Amino acid sequence: MANVEMIMLMLIGFGILAYLLGKFNPKAGSIVTIVASFLSFVFLAYYGYGTETLDATANVLTFTTYNVTQLGLFFAVIVTFVFSMVSFFNPFYIEKIQYNAAYSMLYLFALAGTIGVFFTNNMLYLFFFFEFVVWTSLFLIPMGQSKKAPVWYFGFSAFGSFSLLLAVLLVQNVTGTFNIESIATMSSGYNITVLLLLSIAALSKLGAFPFHIWLPKVLKNSPDPISAVFSGGLEKLGAFVAVLGLVKLGSSSAMFSINGYINMPYANYFIAILGSMTIVFGTLMAIRQDDAKKLLAYSSMSNGGYILVAFAMMNSMSITGGLYHVVAHAVASTAAFLAIGAVHRVTGTTKMSELGGMIHKMPISYLVYLIAIISMAGIPPMGGFISKWMIFQSVIDNGLIFVGIATFFGSIGSFLYVFRPLAALFLGQELPEHRDHTKEAPIVMLVPMLILSGLSVYIGVHVKVIMGMISKVVEELGYIAVPYSDFIIEGINGKLNAGLIALMFGIGVGIAFIIFILLKKSKKVGLMDTYTAGNFIYTESLLHYSLDFYAPLERLYEKESKIMKKFYVTVANKVREFGAFVKYFFFANKPELTVFFIMLVIIALLWGEIL
Amino acid sequence: MNAVLLIVIPLLVAFLSILSKKYAPYLLLVVSLFNILSIYFLKEGIISIGGFTAPYGINLIVNSYSIAGLFIVNTLFFIVVALTISQYRKMSSILLVALAGLNGLLLTGDLFNLFVFIEIVGISAYLLTTTNHKPLSTFNYLVAGTVGSVLYLLGLIILYSMFGTLNMADMHAKIIASGASATAVSLPFLLMFIGLSVEAKLLPFNAWVKGILGNANKLSGPMLASVFAAAIALTVGRLLNGVFVFSDTLGLIVLVVVLFSILAGEAMAYASTKAREILLFSSIAQAGIAIAVFFMGLPGLGLLIVGANAITKLVLFMVITHITEQVGSDEVNDLQGIFSENKVIGVGFTVASLSVLGLPLFVGFVVKLNVLVALFAKDEMLLPIVILISSVIEGVYFVKLLIKLWYKDGDVKQVSFDITMKYVVVVIAIVLVFFGVVSGDLLDLATEIGGIY
Repeated sequence: MANVEMIMLMLIGFGILAYLLGKFNPKAGSIVTIVASFLSFVFLAYYGYGTETLDATANVLTFTTYNVTQLGLFFAVIVTFVFSMVSFFNPFYIEKIQYNAAYSMLYLFALAGTIGVFFTNNMLYLFFFFEFVVWTSLFLIPMGQSKKAPVWYFGFSAFGSFSLLLAVLLVQNVTGTFNIESIATMSSGYNITVLLLLSIAALSKLGAFPFHIWLPKVLKNSPDPISAVFSGGLEKLGAFVAVLGLVKLGSSSAMFSINGYINMPYANYFIAILGSMTIVFGTLMAIRQDDAKKLLAYSSMSNGGYILVAFAMMNSMSITGGLYHVVAHAVASTAAFLAIGAVHRVTGTTKMSELGGMIHKMPISYLVYLIAIISMAGIPPMGGFISKWMIFQSVIDNGLIFVGIATFFGSIGSFLYVFRPLAALFLGQELPEHRDHTKEAPIVMLVPMLILSGLSVYIGVHVKVIMGMISKVVEELGYIAVPYSDFIIEGINGKLNAGLIALMFGIGVGIAFIIFILLKKSKKVGLMDTYTAGNFIYTESLLHYSLDFYAPLERLYEKESKIMKKFYVTVANKVREFGAFVKYFFFANKPELTVFFIMLVIIALLWGEIL
Repeated sequence: MNAVLLIVIPLLVAFLSILSKKYAPYLLLVVSLFNILSIYFLKEGIISIGGFTAPYGINLIVNSYSIAGLFIVNTLFFIVVALTISQYRKMSSILLVALAGLNGLLLTGDLFNLFVFIEIVGISAYLLTTTNHKPLSTFNYLVAGTVGSVLYLLGLIILYSMFGTLNMADMHAKIIASGASATAVSLPFLLMFIGLSVEAKLLPFNAWVKGILGNANKLSGPMLASVFAAAIALTVGRLLNGVFVFSDTLGLIVLVVVLFSILAGEAMAYASTKAREILLFSSIAQAGIAIAVFFMGLPGLGLLIVGANAITKLVLFMVITHITEQVGSDEVNDLQGIFSENKVIGVGFTVASLSVLGLPLFVGFVVKLNVLVALFAKDEMLLPIVILISSVIEGVYFVKLLIKLWYKDGDVKQVSFDITMKYVVVVIAIVLVFFGVVSGDLLDLATEIGGIY
């Protein structure tokens, strides 16, 4: 029997151990992160879903209580899995990091906090763990490239977690208890406020529109393992809060329905629209990027939008789809970030225009990335296809036209961007500057990447395991589980046979491979063996076919691409101006001014009281 | 153990110390250490001086509020003095007088006596700030402080002429018994409140702060921002909860002043690029929050805010003024990467900042969270929202500062810290974490104090 609290304390303990060991040998410290995060995953998965039980009593730190819910367990298993897979990368990065002992420690602390978020049943401590994750992960970000990214991250996170706190306090004020289950039974005029506050928390954690500014900055500039952890793991905290707010909270506002369609409360519809905007915005921005990590970051953002849309619809099909998407996206985006990370490690750049032909030296990373993006684009036979199928089905079935347009746009748009790094970074010509010293990542890094890829395929074919986990969650939330068997999910409009699709897909790939073998091989030429309009081009990077690939499309919305960022910069400037104004006005080093203000305040009182 | 000794001994030794410049610093250290120890032997109760019982004589009030206040102020006083006195030996006698004044502020139960202590503390503060070598700022401080204490006195005179007593408890009882309308007493209270606000750093009465703390040194920075600020805030808290009776308009004015202080303080800190200015504007906002919580009738939690704030500001000001002295500038851009060479100090500074931000595992979180819960329980929504908005701004500039200080971008200026300072910073960091995790006793204290007032 394993105990939730003991798992968290174990992680904290291992974190301190990692720090102490890391002081002497950074590598040893990072190996501790592998052991600890892997253990926590094994404990949670084995005792949570096995025959034995996961104990939730708090024995040591008795100020809070825990409760093992299927929802919490589901999220905790995914996130610990992502952390444990990514941790295999830590030893290869640790020496480049400035505060490497602290890195290993904070990595495990952040994981411990995340587990706390998923299992505590006291809403105040939900906030506690939320904030704990914020500050532990905060210091991991600047160990990469940028000093501004963590500031943006903290600003939005703080805004999100304080919204969460306000929601918690409101719920407590109405129901008189901090128990998390009281959200479900709450019904008062505050329900809409609570829903919106929880949604702000979810949006800012997921990096959804309009609180998305931090996400690309953080994912681009963090050390590669941390980018993967954020995209695959920590963002999912937002999805968890979205479930609390959108699904668990009792009816929040009047129903919005047109001719028997849509059938959502207004507030939920509003969130679904925000989710759609997230999808569209993320897709359009991803198309613009030249940096592969930033591109994946925007893709993460748009996938967060799908999750929001799914939960906002509040029916069993959509919730199942949303939760499936959480798994599929966690697995795929972690794999994609790790593959790009592996390339980054040997070449020192993530810019697509500076890379090319990596497939020659890093074929396995290529394969991992390929599978990951197929899943992210929602192409069978990967997990991303299953989840998007369910989300689309419920969008269509509910008659959500605008949301439908956005979700399909996002899906088609993802073809435009996910294959770009594939073509630009892995395929094509090998660039001379990377030709000699690049080689495939070491086996320890390849193992987690291959496991993630295998899992992406597995959850896209054999749906039973994940569906089993999800249907327990769905039933716990008070909905009827979607019927399923080994390979089949029964939808509203028909059955999805994932096994059959995978088989067809496999046959197609097989035929293509045979054709590839039989046909004549392509001729290899040097990169410089090109002439444009009769001129020899000296600047190699201009020749790179990924440079300004979608320039005509990008030009359409170039001016609008930074509107939200401009908005926040303006807000920040206004705060600064207000501060400077007050400083100028009240701190002029003239004592007579103070006397003047004293007089003003006294006059205000006399005016109010006596006159 | 008589509480009077906490005031009398420093005062007596202050006079003695004038005789010997050489031994004055040692006398100061011994006396302040003695004070800390003697706090453990204090018994709760009311001490009448000279055998005159209240309300005729002056009395000292010893309860859990004043004991906790004494403990915070005297301990932090000792820490600051022990770390810096070797550099500022001339200040020994003044610091002894200041110690007497600070303890008097926290203990006295008499409004006029309080005025005397405000003057003593004020004068010693003016003298301490002369070590900044910015005479104009000191002069401004002197003028503002004097105006403040005169207003306090004016308000007190009006009250005395109305009710004929100077004793705090007696005054409170008489106001309620006389059935005087809250309107009738609002003018004297406002005068007293403004008078105290000058020292308590509330906007718009605090123009002196920028000149003083913006140029503070190792002694005056931590001393004024942490020790003096704590004593003044606790005094205001005591008056707000034990003496003042608020009319609606007066309440509104106080609330507006306080909310403005909080938001403007954070905005000004955000607009600043100098480390000391960031800290001083942030402490204006914190002072606002503390006074707001006292004003809402939560003296116990107010005390916790003041205490946590005093401890963290001590570390922050101590480290920054120390760095400034060696680097010769407190522009944040000149200080980047300094902690990469001084990790122990860096960790202590970071823990203190995270505690100010109210992040979990640190004492600031416990305090902030309980304040918000308590305010919500009183159906008070505006103040929590203002506190949360201000926390977002605060978070942004503190994180910016921390990242700048930790990560180098070019040359790092060489700064060295002596071992005692490292030791003190680490111990304080451990204290902040300890009470952040084991918070039961703190909350019990807050409840106990809530029962007194």
